[in-house]
Amino acid sequence: MATGRDPLAGKLPVTLITGFLGSGKTTLISKLVRHPDMNRVAVVINEIGEIGIDHDLVTMSSENISLLANGCICCTVRTDLQETLRELFNQRRAGLMADFDRVIVETTGMADPAPVVQTMVSDTLLEAQFRLDGVVTLVDAVNGAHLLEHQPEAGKQVALADRILITKGDLASPQQIGDLEATLHAINRQADIRHVLMGEIAPSELTGLGMGSARATDATLRFLGEKLDAAAGEGERYLGARTTRHDPRIGTLSLRFDTPFTWDAFSAALQLLTNLRGPDMLRVKGIVNVEGKPVVVQGVQHIFHPPVTLDRWPSEDRGTRLVFITRGIPAASIRSLFDAVGAIASAD
Amino acid sequence: MATLSTPQQAARPDQTLSRNMKLLAHNDLSGFGGMGEGISMQVTANGRRILWLAHESAPKNFTGVDVTDPKNPRMIVQTELPHAKVRSNSLDVVGDILAVAYQTQVPGMKPAGVDLFDVSVPEAPKLISHFDCSGPYSRGVHAVWFVDGKYVHMSSGAPDFQPRNQLDDQFYRILDVSNPSKPVEAGRWWYPGTREGDAEPAPQRLVSKFDTGFRAHNTNVFPERPDRAYIGYIDGGAFVLDISDMSDIKVKSHWNHSPPFNGFIHTLLPLFERNLWVVSDECVQDGGADWPKLVWVVDSRNEANPVPIGTFPAAPYDAFARRGGRFGAHNMHENLPGPASFRSDTIIVGTFFNAGVRVYDTTNPYQVEEIAYYVPGAPPLSPAGAIQLNDVFVDENRIVYTVDRFGGGLYVLEMNI
Repeated sequence: MATGRDPLAGKLPVTLITGFLGSGKTTLISKLVRHPDMNRVAVVINEIGEIGIDHDLVTMSSENISLLANGCICCTVRTDLQETLRELFNQRRAGLMADFDRVIVETTGMADPAPVVQTMVSDTLLEAQFRLDGVVTLVDAVNGAHLLEHQPEAGKQVALADRILITKGDLASPQQIGDLEATLHAINRQADIRHVLMGEIAPSELTGLGMGSARATDATLRFLGEKLDAAAGEGERYLGARTTRHDPRIGTLSLRFDTPFTWDAFSAALQLLTNLRGPDMLRVKGIVNVEGKPVVVQGVQHIFHPPVTLDRWPSEDRGTRLVFITRGIPAASIRSLFDAVGAIASAD
Repeated sequence: MATLSTPQQAARPDQTLSRNMKLLAHNDLSGFGGMGEGISMQVTANGRRILWLAHESAPKNFTGVDVTDPKNPRMIVQTELPHAKVRSNSLDVVGDILAVAYQTQVPGMKPAGVDLFDVSVPEAPKLISHFDCSGPYSRGVHAVWFVDGKYVHMSSGAPDFQPRNQLDDQFYRILDVSNPSKPVEAGRWWYPGTREGDAEPAPQRLVSKFDTGFRAHNTNVFPERPDRAYIGYIDGGAFVLDISDMSDIKVKSHWNHSPPFNGFIHTLLPLFERNLWVVSDECVQDGGADWPKLVWVVDSRNEANPVPIGTFPAAPYDAFARRGGRFGAHNMHENLPGPASFRSDTIIVGTFFNAGVRVYDTTNPYQVEEIAYYVPGAPPLSPAGAIQLNDVFVDENRIVYTVDRFGGGLYVLEMNI
């Protein structure tokens, strides 16, 4: 009988929505907050005036937190996101505002999602009460390819995404969309790509992206990017003759290790890698065999979420499987680093 | 916009509040949903799961609910009390035997004691025996603890017990029910000085507005330590008794937070592997008048010197004190040893009247965390104007069964922790 507590289950999931100016974030948020399924969801936005919700307001529990008729809580950022999330938790606990079960955060256009992740991991209150469910990145079908070519932050937003939403597809040609999809897939092979028109999206498409429990289920495998129903040809679809114009050094690497690690060896290797190449290590996630136990790790640059030991292996596969999104680090280098540190760590 | 800018209380008593808990089902128990402090789960020979519920007051005696499918609880039996001046506030089931407590409104009345029922056919409970505890100063039995099929540990008066103060009428008694048709007393203990004729002086009472009595409430004995009884003795504090010789019970531990606190220690729940006690108070006054009523963490590594090391983070006073009715600690799920009971040395689930049912992680006993809660909106026609969750039972699948003290009946909840 499991008598302990699941370290993830009780935390409030937070979805970050990113995307460059003009990618359609404001349109999406203003539709989203009125969606009937947004009851008990708190949305943190930058500027309330932009989304025009005056007619839907029920109450304001404080100057920056309002309750809409559908039960959605709209909260504008006052000083910074850290303060805002703390305020949301404290007001809810004190019974000063309506309850909510999850948070959706709209980041500013130029925002690098990495510092937001760092805030959520390093602030003790936020770390205890919230978990990052995932990053959703909006990419404009018309201008996306251009931005990816010229704005390094755009590439990073794509690299950190768990889900990519292509917007304004009605304004772009099929060729444009196909090229953009190929580029996005080349940067981030793990994020699934969906299309959104005029911000019409069900809230469920923005949630359930991360790991919500330390109990291993099919959802854990999906989180790890191991699709259960192996779609025929998946992964090959975009690797045709189309040229990708983004920084070609950003890409997804998958590594597999069949010998179990000790935690010391694994964390030392990862530490070394982040010390040397932190800015180029955009994203890491995977499952590690730590002396037989399944441990899920995930990180953004040098920031790692607390590792989670699963209650059991989610499938028959007991190998360590790691996915890296890096800028210009060859897979072979990472592999040999882990092998070397492992060899030294295990030496008497 | 300006007209909306005044901050206002969003949490009204008619609103349900929840965090990491989801309502699976609600049953108003045919309109008799004012429930007491007894919830116990029977697993029948053919695998049905029957939840037995005690009522807070007359006219109903006890209710059986089939919760084999927890999303679809079905009331299968509801029995009547003989008159309106008796209540059966507490019960426990072991195998097919159900023990039910009877307490009268005033001393000297009957029935005051314990009934044992055969519930092998849950729809048709059959009385096996009645153990009479009535007497000129006795109101009978307030609470029973029956988990091993052999002994009923209880808070009870007795025909031969004359308290110096009528508030101290119920003490710790042990009934041997190994022959259920003929229960016999196996032991008793009372707070020294509370019985007429005691050599010890009468205890110093709390100030009159908090003077609720030096009498037993919960009297728990666990299979891990069959030689120890864990007693909440209301204004007398918390006791651990050595019951290895039931005819000669001795005090091993005593701890009391009152004064300066406001009395009414209700339950002492030991966490055996961690040498900790979780001790709950009972709130007994409306509107926050006896605030704070807390759940305490006590380090018991030295049985002779229990030391309080923390309290559970209480629900916010501003949000609940005037929400209606009582606000503060009461019953907890007590790690009952039965086959369908959740047991944990770290996760504690308790009821807090208008602050609902709350779940705590005590992994760090110095800094207990609240990890879930469910506060139902006020039941229809609630005299308190707010929910008053009174008792809770958690099954081995972590399904939470909790009851309202007035009218609301049974709430079945799922924890996401």
